[in-house]
Amino acid sequence: MPEIDTTNFGTISFAPESIFEFPNGLPGFDERRRFLPVQNPRTAPLLFLQSLEDPALCFTTLPIWVVDPHYRLHITAQDLELLGFAANRQPRIGSEVLCLAVLSLRPAGTTANLLAPVVVNLKNYKAVQAVSPELRYSHQQPLFPEGAAAC
Amino acid sequence: MLIMSRRRGESILIGDDIEIVIAHVGRSRVKVGIRAPRETIVVAREVKMVGEENLAAARTPAAAVLQMLLSQLLPEVHTFTAVDDEGSVRQDAGAKN
Repeated sequence: MPEIDTTNFGTISFAPESIFEFPNGLPGFDERRRFLPVQNPRTAPLLFLQSLEDPALCFTTLPIWVVDPHYRLHITAQDLELLGFAANRQPRIGSEVLCLAVLSLRPAGTTANLLAPVVVNLKNYKAVQAVSPELRYSHQQPLFPEGAAAC
Repeated sequence: MLIMSRRRGESILIGDDIEIVIAHVGRSRVKVGIRAPRETIVVAREVKMVGEENLAAARTPAAAVLQMLLSQLLPEVHTFTAVDDEGSVRQDAGAKN
């Protein structure tokens, strides 16, 4: 199995068929096309997206329904085509696509980007960060809103 | 905000070298042509927001997210959370739960 050196996880080996391929990269990282999903049972359901092209680049994500159980996809026709779907309906989260919210650490706490989830076609592992043009969701959604009880 | 009314095919000039052309008007979308110098960055607002958010996310080390999540989810465990010399969260952090 091929191996890569990473800043966060040291050297990890991986199955080449598990690579997520972003044909257009991600906004701000247009040249980063291949990411490896990394998961550790101790930190589930967190899923880390480790760049294969930059050892230091790793996004921390959560399945979108962990952040918002009522989340609904609004993928543009262009992104649907990149993923390999017909443009006439949204794919189903879970059975057809993996849908992840990218997390950022801010002084006030962790936020999740619900405006632009990472969407992966589970059939071919093609991926896009699907920026919703409608601004219906926040790109900085607090994970633990004020007043919400901690478990 | 300045609001101008334009028909299909008409255009607007911004400064000396940027031209916005209304190329097509549909029911709920308009297609806009933009003529601008090569060095002018033209991008949809939400794509720029997401690009900046990704840069912030990329600066966030995985271990720091874990530590923050632990301290927010399990405040009472916080005192047991420790980061070793390599910056990773020590494994006993969650074991006290």
